[in-house]
Amino acid sequence: MELGHFLSAMTPFNIALALFGVIAGTIVGSIPGLTATMALAVLVPITFSMDPASALILLGAIYTGAIYGGAYAAILLNTPGTPSAIATTFDGYPMAKRGDGDLAVALACFASVFGGLVGAFALLLLAPPLSRVALAFGPIEYFWLSVFGLSLIASLSNGNLMKGLAGGAFGMILSTVGVAEISADIRLTFGSQVLIGGFGVVGALIGLYCIPVLIDLVAVPDRHLQVEDNVKSVRIGEAFRLAMRSKFNLIRSSIIGTLVGILPGAGGSVAGLVAYSEAKRTAKPHQRFGEGEPDGILATESANNATVGGGFIPTLVLGIPGTPPDAIVLGALLVQGVRTGPAMFTQSGSIVYTFIYGLLIATVLMLPAGLLIGRYAYKSIVTIPKAVLVPTVGFMTIIGTFSIRNSISDVIIMLCLGVFGWVVARFGFAASPIVLGLILGPIAEQGFVQGWIIGAATNNLVGMFFGRPISQAILAFTIITLILPVFLARKQHNSGMEAD
Amino acid sequence: MTQPSASKSQGNIGSLIVSALFVLIGFVTLYDSTSYTDRDSQVFPQTVAIILIITAAISFVTRFLRPIDSDGFGRGVWWRRLLLVATMFLTCFAMPVVGFLAAGTIAFAGGLIAAMHENWTAKTIVLYWGCGALIMVAFFSLFKFVLHVPLP
Amino acid sequence: MLRRSILKAGAALAIATSFATGANAELNGPVNYIIPFGPGGESDISARLQQPFFKEKFGQDMIVSYQPGGGGAVGWASLNGLNGDGQTMMGVNLPHIIIKPAQKDVGFATENLNTFYMFHYTPDAIVVPASSPYQTLADFVAYAKANPAQVTMSGSGKASANHLAQIKFDKMAGIQTTYVPFKGTGASVTALLGNQVKAQWGYTTVGAAQGDAVRMLAVAMDERHPLFPDVPTFKELGYDMTGGAYRGIALPNTASAETTKMWSDMIAEINADPEFRQKMLDGGFAMLDVNSDEMADFMAARAEEYLNDARAAGLIE
Repeated sequence: MELGHFLSAMTPFNIALALFGVIAGTIVGSIPGLTATMALAVLVPITFSMDPASALILLGAIYTGAIYGGAYAAILLNTPGTPSAIATTFDGYPMAKRGDGDLAVALACFASVFGGLVGAFALLLLAPPLSRVALAFGPIEYFWLSVFGLSLIASLSNGNLMKGLAGGAFGMILSTVGVAEISADIRLTFGSQVLIGGFGVVGALIGLYCIPVLIDLVAVPDRHLQVEDNVKSVRIGEAFRLAMRSKFNLIRSSIIGTLVGILPGAGGSVAGLVAYSEAKRTAKPHQRFGEGEPDGILATESANNATVGGGFIPTLVLGIPGTPPDAIVLGALLVQGVRTGPAMFTQSGSIVYTFIYGLLIATVLMLPAGLLIGRYAYKSIVTIPKAVLVPTVGFMTIIGTFSIRNSISDVIIMLCLGVFGWVVARFGFAASPIVLGLILGPIAEQGFVQGWIIGAATNNLVGMFFGRPISQAILAFTIITLILPVFLARKQHNSGMEAD
Repeated sequence: MTQPSASKSQGNIGSLIVSALFVLIGFVTLYDSTSYTDRDSQVFPQTVAIILIITAAISFVTRFLRPIDSDGFGRGVWWRRLLLVATMFLTCFAMPVVGFLAAGTIAFAGGLIAAMHENWTAKTIVLYWGCGALIMVAFFSLFKFVLHVPLP
Repeated sequence: MLRRSILKAGAALAIATSFATGANAELNGPVNYIIPFGPGGESDISARLQQPFFKEKFGQDMIVSYQPGGGGAVGWASLNGLNGDGQTMMGVNLPHIIIKPAQKDVGFATENLNTFYMFHYTPDAIVVPASSPYQTLADFVAYAKANPAQVTMSGSGKASANHLAQIKFDKMAGIQTTYVPFKGTGASVTALLGNQVKAQWGYTTVGAAQGDAVRMLAVAMDERHPLFPDVPTFKELGYDMTGGAYRGIALPNTASAETTKMWSDMIAEINADPEFRQKMLDGGFAMLDVNSDEMADFMAARAEEYLNDARAAGLIE
């Protein structure tokens, strides 16, 4: 563990970098359209003149801040600031609408810090064995994982199962538009050049979540969020107590987040979704998930911040980036001459350990910084007159969507999706299944096709799809998730009838 | 017993239309997939399209048989919504011509007018439009100079 | 006599003017280096390695940004619409820019891309995990012959350098392996390390990044790579196979000839820097120098080669 490196991480310069990184990252993450990837890409050249460990600390701090910052827009504007915060909208926005927005933001901060710490500790203590877990996940496991993700969509669409599934399927179809990754066919572009790039997740996120909110905001004269007149600072204490009472949820969600983060390509959105669904499945009867349940936010925000530490495990141990920000960090390291991969922990051990301790410090610093920024974010969103809020957010969506790929057509696509999303949401087709389908579609497709090719070549199709232990476990979970709610509802119905 | 009025309500008709639309999208996808050269790229879209058609069709049928008076466009002022959306689209088309900041002003203005339900006073005019200009310039600078995004 | 001196004077004047116009092309401000893929791939890494050298030699910031989509097609289709003042450039990859337009209409044509320099390539290599039973290429070929289609090999994308290499080698060796496409080299390496597949069609960069966790059976180069003196080339083992994925840089085709020449010289200078070369070699890359003057011939030769291979493989008509 090399505690000596802890001291080198504690230099004033590194601490300043960590603090700056967390603050900058939080702001970046809270603006829909601005991703951590973008911010990191811009800041990499600055790191060339720093020593590798400090550079890593800065980049890691920004990354973890951004994953936390995504919660602000999710809670206050029903728009995930980053894809990782999708599941935070489920309970975050309802809480904001009923006046508990500041509580939600504080809860998000506590959860993010807790999850981030768990992920970082996993990185510190368990990186080599956990990286082997990452390798055990082959194409088939990814396929079943995405099927599991879709079953979660179904179970989360309360009472509207068919519409939820249809939305998810539609999202998956959207994900196929453009050049196919696995074959080089061009799909569903109808000859248009505009659609060759396909529907990006971030643009679709902004369109499907944010635009409908704006359209509804202009239509009625009511205030956006209710404002309670009582003292705000009391809520931090309340948030802390709620978090403490929900220890098991926090721990379980953070572990889920770390494990999902280890899988290259899975990401914070999947982690949040799985953690949320688990929290909902084990909910006590009085809890109302989906209507503003604090445990929901605690689950999603701890899971998605745990993916930061988790994602660094394959990045540093195997040289395989877990998420795009990890890939940028890899690039920055390579330029510095640091060789990632199996040799890194031994050859460049001091850099690695100093970085991990720096990440821990940054996560801890996120607590005061995050609570402070959160308070101001909440106050400003709530007090800004709606007439200024709407055009500001609208402007932000345009500039944010443009900057993803420097493309005006992306903005037009985003707006079209937005109007479409508003219309279909009005008639029962929510945005989340569509976006989740969009995210899970490529994972499902690639996993399926690759598994099929391998299975067909080795004449072991059935064994391939159903015979692998991890796949069997995921499949079992999927079935439980789908059947359990039906089973429980019937039990309640029966016991209700008996009572008559 | 279903109430005759419910089946004609906006919510119902809209829901049926949207479900039908999704079924249509499913068929379009199936049709498009016949033009792919590689079998590998057909499998997934076809499977998902079939799922879409089945689920949307079930949703259509259940809603048809049991109309509920829910969903719908709700209360709200239409011209404001249209103004917001129209100005945002206009901004996109204007961007290559007049540059980002000018085009963005169109969207901002549209949003501001659309969202402003109270009457304009001298104070609000100066304050809101002033803040608006400030916000736009701030974001523009952030993206263009700090993040090096080539805004037109 | 007079005629010759007039000719000489004329030539000198021509050279002088070309120098003068060359000197007019200048950088003003930071430059945009767009990578038409997501971060972490070989294009990104090589750009990141160039970044500090650029700043040091020419005093301007080089800003790397990403525009993924369509396996590069989105970026290349948008290149000629960008500003041709010399401040914006984009990475290009072979065989992608030759094969993609030949397959279908992806929004750009190979000859319309103003590629001004090819600065490296990643040689194809067959990579197996360290624990694999194949110790040499001969073992591999023997097993593949005895078990047709059973040897699964991961690679990045379809109709890509990896895929073409697999098709070509299968034909040369008279074997039948199964190619499993993955999204990017990273994903195909993960599959290899996790033993999801038996081998990988990758590059020397994989061997460099993974070190002792993998073993390369052969590399597609004329001579052995300095970083891997123990790994034979395909040529030594009797298979005439050299090549890999080539990477270079292009400007929008609205850029002037002077600007193009200026950039070609600048990149050539970075490429000649011994420290840069060493860093690239340490990363497993192989260096190459094709500047703007030689580009047309180079591209024509590559195009012929790739299109023939692709046609033989049934990827295009």
